[in-house]
Amino acid sequence: MDTLPWKHGGKMRFVVFVKQVPDTSAVCTDINGNLIREGVPSILNPYCESALNMACGVKKDGDVITAVSMGPPQAENALFRCLELGADEAFLLTDRAFAGADVHATVRTLSAFVKKFIPDYDLIFCGKQAADGDTAQVPAELAYMLGCGQFCYTQKLTLSGEWKAVQNYGSEVRECIIGKGDLLSVSDEEIGFRLPSAADYIRAAGIEIKKLNIADIGLDTFSVGLKGSKTKIVSATPSKVSRRGAVTDGSDPAKAAEHIRDAII
Amino acid sequence: MASDIRKAETGSPYLTDESKMVGSADNIIIPETEEDVIKITEEHFACGRPITISGMRTGMCGGCVPFGGDVLSTEKLNKVIGIGRDERGYYVRVQPAVTVRELNEVLRKKLYTDLTDITENAVGSLLGEGTDFFYPVDPTELNSSLGGNIAVNSSGPRTLKYGPTRNWVRRIRAVLADGCVMDIKRTDITAEGRMLRFRTSKGEREVPLPSYDYNMNVKNSTGIMAKDGMDMVDLFIGSEGIFGTVTEADLYIVPWHPLISNIFFFPNDSSAYLFVEKIQKSDINPEFLEYFDSGSLNLLRTAAEKDPNLNSMPGIPDGAGSAVFMDLPMDDTLMSNYRKIEILSKSNGGSLENSWCGHELRDREKFFGFRHSVPQIIFEYVAGLKGKVPKIHKMGTDMSVPLKNLGRMMTVYSKTLDRYGLEHVTFGHIGNGHLHVEIILKDMDNLTKAKEAYRELAIKAIRLGGSPSAEHGIGKIKREYVELMYGKKGTEEMKKTKEAMDPRWILCPGNMVEK
Ligand SMILES: Cc1cc2nc3c(=O)[nH]c(=O)nc-3n(C[C@H](O)[C@H](O)[C@H](O)COP(=O)(O)OP(=O)(O)OC[C@H]3O[C@@H](n4cnc5c(N)ncnc54)[C@H](O)[C@@H]3O)c2cc1C
Repeated sequence: MDTLPWKHGGKMRFVVFVKQVPDTSAVCTDINGNLIREGVPSILNPYCESALNMACGVKKDGDVITAVSMGPPQAENALFRCLELGADEAFLLTDRAFAGADVHATVRTLSAFVKKFIPDYDLIFCGKQAADGDTAQVPAELAYMLGCGQFCYTQKLTLSGEWKAVQNYGSEVRECIIGKGDLLSVSDEEIGFRLPSAADYIRAAGIEIKKLNIADIGLDTFSVGLKGSKTKIVSATPSKVSRRGAVTDGSDPAKAAEHIRDAII
Repeated sequence: MASDIRKAETGSPYLTDESKMVGSADNIIIPETEEDVIKITEEHFACGRPITISGMRTGMCGGCVPFGGDVLSTEKLNKVIGIGRDERGYYVRVQPAVTVRELNEVLRKKLYTDLTDITENAVGSLLGEGTDFFYPVDPTELNSSLGGNIAVNSSGPRTLKYGPTRNWVRRIRAVLADGCVMDIKRTDITAEGRMLRFRTSKGEREVPLPSYDYNMNVKNSTGIMAKDGMDMVDLFIGSEGIFGTVTEADLYIVPWHPLISNIFFFPNDSSAYLFVEKIQKSDINPEFLEYFDSGSLNLLRTAAEKDPNLNSMPGIPDGAGSAVFMDLPMDDTLMSNYRKIEILSKSNGGSLENSWCGHELRDREKFFGFRHSVPQIIFEYVAGLKGKVPKIHKMGTDMSVPLKNLGRMMTVYSKTLDRYGLEHVTFGHIGNGHLHVEIILKDMDNLTKAKEAYRELAIKAIRLGGSPSAEHGIGKIKREYVELMYGKKGTEEMKKTKEAMDPRWILCPGNMVEK
């Protein structure tokens, strides 16, 4: 039975914010320790994919999942993946002016989008952090800017009378009741891993990914991107990690194991 | 540079390969340069001491397993040397121990800084191409060496579209049994009829080729290639190291095009087979067609229960009793291909919903991992049995037949193996009439039966116009099938070719033919 006061007409609006990131598992370094970016594919951030999977897991007929990303035009691919995996519509917030955004400018852009385009949303899902940035601040600051409740480290979402989020803080697991308009951030990389079917691919290919620019969202150039950012990088120095290679031939596994043990202890 | 020489102790990985056959040798010699290979070979030739060439030892027929003498491991000859270009296109010059995976990584990540221009500005011009390139032969085992691939004329799923290794070799550099180096491009040396005549630094040579007709109508790696006017490059391809150690090769590469991997599930074995038959009659052109029977899917299900991270794939759908794996080009034909596939799969109990697809690299790698894990699980199973049954080795078929006879051959497989009471699973390159039937051995009695059954199957495959060894070669395990295919006469003729190339029989003795 649907007892939620905020679930009208049996339909829910879920918004999932996602980011495209380089596939960090495919990044390697050259002999000088520099990152080789050539040939490294871009993917949907794994935490965001989990967030989407969580939304898909609770979606019922008639509910709508909207995937949203701020990024360059090629971030469309990450949104396409969301559509393949079950999102019903997708928005790409893309404009040169959005480039170089820090957490604050990103959140301002995302919240302006929600307020203007999906003000009646029911729940927002985010990945805990982007695999390439690791700040993990966007979900919390977005909740703050939208004035909604935030539920970090959500591992599971259940509905029995009320929506409950199971949050895993490592040292403590909590179950909390969530309400309309709240935001969940998902900390697991592998929630409900699925592959699309050919039918999913065809459905996704038939959905237009809507592109919105700064004017569409209704912000000015000083609120977004580098100009709207509060973080100013004064200087940056690469941290030096020195690595030493050692080779063991492995023809005698016991000796090889000893060698590795000696090297790491 | 000097070679690294060490004693071949019992249990050394250099004494076995993926067939799990175990041999013996005195020393493992690991050369660092071609000069080292020449020196080792000359010394061995002088005293008639056998050398068994070893690549990455992923072979399935004991080809790199030594029986006496020393092992020469190519592992340190592992550099991608450079890029060249000729009228056919770009090629990569490699040393033999570069693996298929490594070559494709270099190409995908454009790791060209250390590569030399084999022809003028080839590296720069390849970099300037707007598209990625790749080496299209996919022997499933991507850790196999390109030298090993050449030695057994490897092929795999993509052979459906691109043909076997043979089609991609431009040039070979090899150290012959007496230490002479042959450096030949295609068309440099061709046979007069069935006689190859050429010069080495040690003089004129005449090498007679067998008179049999090498079956080129199916995937085939049984015996050495022989045909009128044959190119000498083809003598080395598929020769399993018996004529020389390949120290360098030029391999053509092709532009990459985006692909989408698909696995379609079906209720039972025959529904998947009928689906494949229809695909082949249609105008859909998949890059390959791979088959999993119900036994293979169950094997994967059981293995995934034990190790959930086995191949990072979702659970196989409950009702799935067989599956077909294919890559489709992601171009403007894709949607119409899907529409056709929808109709063909529905008429055989499948659907577009009951499938997996993936076009991102990370997903596609998972699909290939899934496919690869079927033989891998069997290898591990056999390796596990070794403790209890030391003499056991893997028994999997590698037979090809013309497509029109595949249905008949599939019936022969199941009837014959059922008659012998042997449990088996079937998977592999259905698009090329080439399925692998793996016999799940339990004890030595099973192995004896499996050998008898195998022989029956090989005879049948040959009668149906096929080959008893389509891609893994003959090595030591499948030697008897050479005679089944070519008769006594053909086998004797192969020996004459070997004798003329290696009069002291020092190179890889026991592979394909015995003295
Ligand atoms: C799980 C699995 C799946 C496989 N699937 C396929 C498949 O689909 N298609 C396929 O074709 N194969 C397949 N194989 C078999 C194997 O990977 C190939 O035969 C491969 O070409 C062997 O390469 P290697 O470097 O391991 O050679 P090795 O096993 O080391 O040697 C193979 C033969 O080549 C000779 N050789 C090696 N290097 C040289 C050289 N430089 N010069 C002269 N002779 C040399 C050796 O003497 C030996 O006779 C599979 C193997 C595994 C383990």
